[in-house]
Amino acid sequence: MEAPPVTVMPVTGGTINMMEYLLQGSVLDQALDSLLHRLRGLCDNMEPESFADHELVYLLKGQQGNPFMLRARRSLAHPTAPWHLRYLGQPEVGDKSRHALVRNCVDVAASHSLPDFLNEMGFRMDHEFVAKGHVFRKGALKVVVSKVSRVLVPGNTDNIEPLSLSYLVELSVLAPAGQDTVSEDMRSFAEQLKPLVHLEKIDPKRV
Amino acid sequence: MGVTCVCQVPILEGKSVQQTVDMLHKKLEQLGAVKQGSFFVDCETYHATSNASGKKRQPSKLLYVMHNSETPLSCLALFEGGPYLTADVNFDVLMVKLKSHFQNAKGHKVESRGTRYRYCDFLVKVGTVTMSSSARGISVEVEYCACVVPGDCWNLMKEFMQSFLGSNVPELPSVFAAKPEGLYAPVDCMDTMVQYLELFSKVRKQQVIPGASVR
Amino acid sequence: MQQREEKQLEASVESLISRVAHLKNSLHGFIYKLENEYDRLTWPSVLDNFALLSGQLNTINKLLKNEKTPSFRNQIIIPLLLSPERDEELARLTEQRVPVFSHEIVPDHLRTKPDPEVEEQEKQLSAEAARIGPEVAQKQIQTLNKLCSNLLEKLNNPRDDRESESAAIRQNKPSFNPADTNALVGAVGYGKGLSKCRPPGSVAPGHPGQPMMTGGPTLQQVTIGGAQGHQAGMAPVAQQQAGQPGKMPSNIKTNIKSASASMHPYNR
Repeated sequence: MEAPPVTVMPVTGGTINMMEYLLQGSVLDQALDSLLHRLRGLCDNMEPESFADHELVYLLKGQQGNPFMLRARRSLAHPTAPWHLRYLGQPEVGDKSRHALVRNCVDVAASHSLPDFLNEMGFRMDHEFVAKGHVFRKGALKVVVSKVSRVLVPGNTDNIEPLSLSYLVELSVLAPAGQDTVSEDMRSFAEQLKPLVHLEKIDPKRV
Repeated sequence: MGVTCVCQVPILEGKSVQQTVDMLHKKLEQLGAVKQGSFFVDCETYHATSNASGKKRQPSKLLYVMHNSETPLSCLALFEGGPYLTADVNFDVLMVKLKSHFQNAKGHKVESRGTRYRYCDFLVKVGTVTMSSSARGISVEVEYCACVVPGDCWNLMKEFMQSFLGSNVPELPSVFAAKPEGLYAPVDCMDTMVQYLELFSKVRKQQVIPGASVR
Repeated sequence: MQQREEKQLEASVESLISRVAHLKNSLHGFIYKLENEYDRLTWPSVLDNFALLSGQLNTINKLLKNEKTPSFRNQIIIPLLLSPERDEELARLTEQRVPVFSHEIVPDHLRTKPDPEVEEQEKQLSAEAARIGPEVAQKQIQTLNKLCSNLLEKLNNPRDDRESESAAIRQNKPSFNPADTNALVGAVGYGKGLSKCRPPGSVAPGHPGQPMMTGGPTLQQVTIGGAQGHQAGMAPVAQQQAGQPGKMPSNIKTNIKSASASMHPYNR
């Protein structure tokens, strides 16, 4: 087959240019209940939602340039639910006036053939972990409190070991690019979780 | 979704693509089929840039990303012979992000557009297959919505197709022949898309019909 | 003598009128705010208004109880002239509230006893109270007191518990550990401290200055309208993304190492 001409591809559908605004922190196991209690009070009145997810991180390496990273998640609690494929761009710290880390973000729901398909595309699994925890929402804000565990035997999610004596706490919002005002809401929400948890924008260039 | 069969219909001797399509429409209408909107199926081709994927698999397989108006929020990604992936439309956005590793072969975009007919439990879609804005052929998709087991309804479908396709009735599609007897997976339109992909590949290889540019 | 009393009466009536006018003004202002500014009225400012009203009512009460204030109760008002005609002077004095001093309104405005209906009800109540013997009454009082004290106890105790709990958190026990935060962020972002499936050395964990992902196309290159927010509902909620590609601060490395040896440094 002759080499086809390459042009900019037209996007047929999808939500382009979504950004994830993110604040992160952690809470010690013994303070988890206090945090959950507070979140139940602060967040939208909803049924407490728990999750148990297995995340597989794939890399696609070119001969030059940096590897391309994709994250595939599946729910351990709902094995028939679709997989969740996620691309995350380079995080931007921005200036002091923006209170959260911002990165480009593409979320794709996908069928269970995802691992096979990624393999065929040339992706190779780099590492995996299990996250179990709770999800809270307040309007567009999303709070995830989760225990991150390493998988001791590759692929066996029953054989896991917690990474630390803390839970990871993440506050995030998905918004179209340029809506920096959401970071203001995030900051005031994070303020209400103090002194239990300090949610910060963790700068990759820090230290 | 029921059992679906996609086939290519040859252009009548001495007629244009449009005239052949009109003939098919007329035949369907004479049968009593009712027009029910339009449809499209499209297919983008991607090839891995030389520096992506392994050196082990050369030449690397082409990646096809397809859409079907019947499932407008889905995006179907296929390698010839599998594996196949059903995803939501954000997969298109992901392909943009991946463009340093997978390049879109724009000239290879193939699509089939046309009219959708309903005849009792049958859904018939007659489409003009175009590539680089030139008409390359005609596709006919017949779906029998009342059954999900190909073996149980194939003869019925064949008989129905004979009524307007005459001698052009295809054999049982290989997607079904390859599968063990039993339930057809009805949840997505992947089996249909695999058939369209086969048809598009055939069309891509065939010569351009002289003077058959799209209206 | 009589003149002095009269003067005193006049003075106290005047001061009463001015106090009532103050109260009326405050009420006016408050009602206006409630009706027109309810959308930006804050609770503290509502409380301020209540405090003002209550203060003014208190002042009036004090004034009435003052020794120097003659007992208004002893003053008698007799309606000398009733007329169905409109009285402009009266209307002006009462801010158009009472335009006529007629047979119809006088019994209401000069009333010194409760309504006949209220009087009737009161009579019934006192009759009922009289029927109950003192012993029964005592018993009822005791039951009510018991209920009240139980309720108070219930309300007070958890408050003490809560206060002591949160005080404990605030004072001695830290509820989070910054080193853990960094370890977790590094793990979900880069897989630090997680077993690697890749060949060693390809991308060393903690490699300073090495970005993990290609920047991808710049966003401006993609031009399409109608970016809808439909995607929020697409993925199952449970499938939250946890992760942030951030470089691990180098002074944390030791902690991760000890964590991977399953000996957590913060074990207590």
